[in-house]
Amino acid sequence: MKITLALALLVLATLPEAAFACPVCFDRDDEARIAFLATTGLLTLLPLGLVAGFGVWLRRRARAEEDDTNSEAALD
Amino acid sequence: MTANTTVLPFRPRPRRSERAISNGVLGMILFVFVEIMLFAGFISAFVIIRARAVGSVWPPPNQPRLPFEQTAVNTSALLASGILLLAAHRMHLKDRSPRAVGALLALATLLGSAFVFLQGVEWAALIGEGLTMTSSTYGSLFYTIIGAHAAHAVIAIGVLAWAWVRVAKSNLSREAISSVAIFWYFVVLVWPFLYFQVYL
Repeated sequence: MKITLALALLVLATLPEAAFACPVCFDRDDEARIAFLATTGLLTLLPLGLVAGFGVWLRRRARAEEDDTNSEAALD
Repeated sequence: MTANTTVLPFRPRPRRSERAISNGVLGMILFVFVEIMLFAGFISAFVIIRARAVGSVWPPPNQPRLPFEQTAVNTSALLASGILLLAAHRMHLKDRSPRAVGALLALATLLGSAFVFLQGVEWAALIGEGLTMTSSTYGSLFYTIIGAHAAHAVIAIGVLAWAWVRVAKSNLSREAISSVAIFWYFVVLVWPFLYFQVYL
């Protein structure tokens, strides 16, 4: 059983060749490949940037309001 | 018989801190994030299709060129409208004269309407020249992307008009004007990206 599994893994690891169907990795045209890479990067990083930027802004805003509240309480 | 009573020391209720952001504004910001991703998807599709155009010829042969210079006028109107709304927004948050805020809002709405009207005129000319949804990938991409933006602009103009009526009745909250403004800022700021990608 172990030998069969090891052989199966060996076959899987050695037999397949590069999948040329992947449009991001391969394209006959350089311009199209760059476009695929750029848009993949954009669509991956944009939501992360939006959420992170919003989180930072919200944290700063909350801190500023907290400081205001504390200074008002100190005056009272 | 004596009852054992425990006297707890008086603890004042902690002061409830104000929310850093109101629910309405938070909802609008999240909605705008979704819209940004929608337009990022549109732009990505456009960039890839343009890059894979047959013979790298874009726009495709026998299709009209988009009026880049003419659309610069529409773009200026939209940007001016955004600046006016920014001024109105700031004035309203500082409790300045509702009359001035109303005037700025009305001007912003008018300029936004001018943008949509001029876009309509441009579309009519392009359809006359043979650029339709079915004429080519170029046409379908153009009408989908620019049409989606125009639909957002029309809805936002309706919301701006509503805000103007509320200001006239002295009944517009800070939360409401902030939500309306965020949506209009999105419509204004996403346009230059579409303009330079699609028209140039």
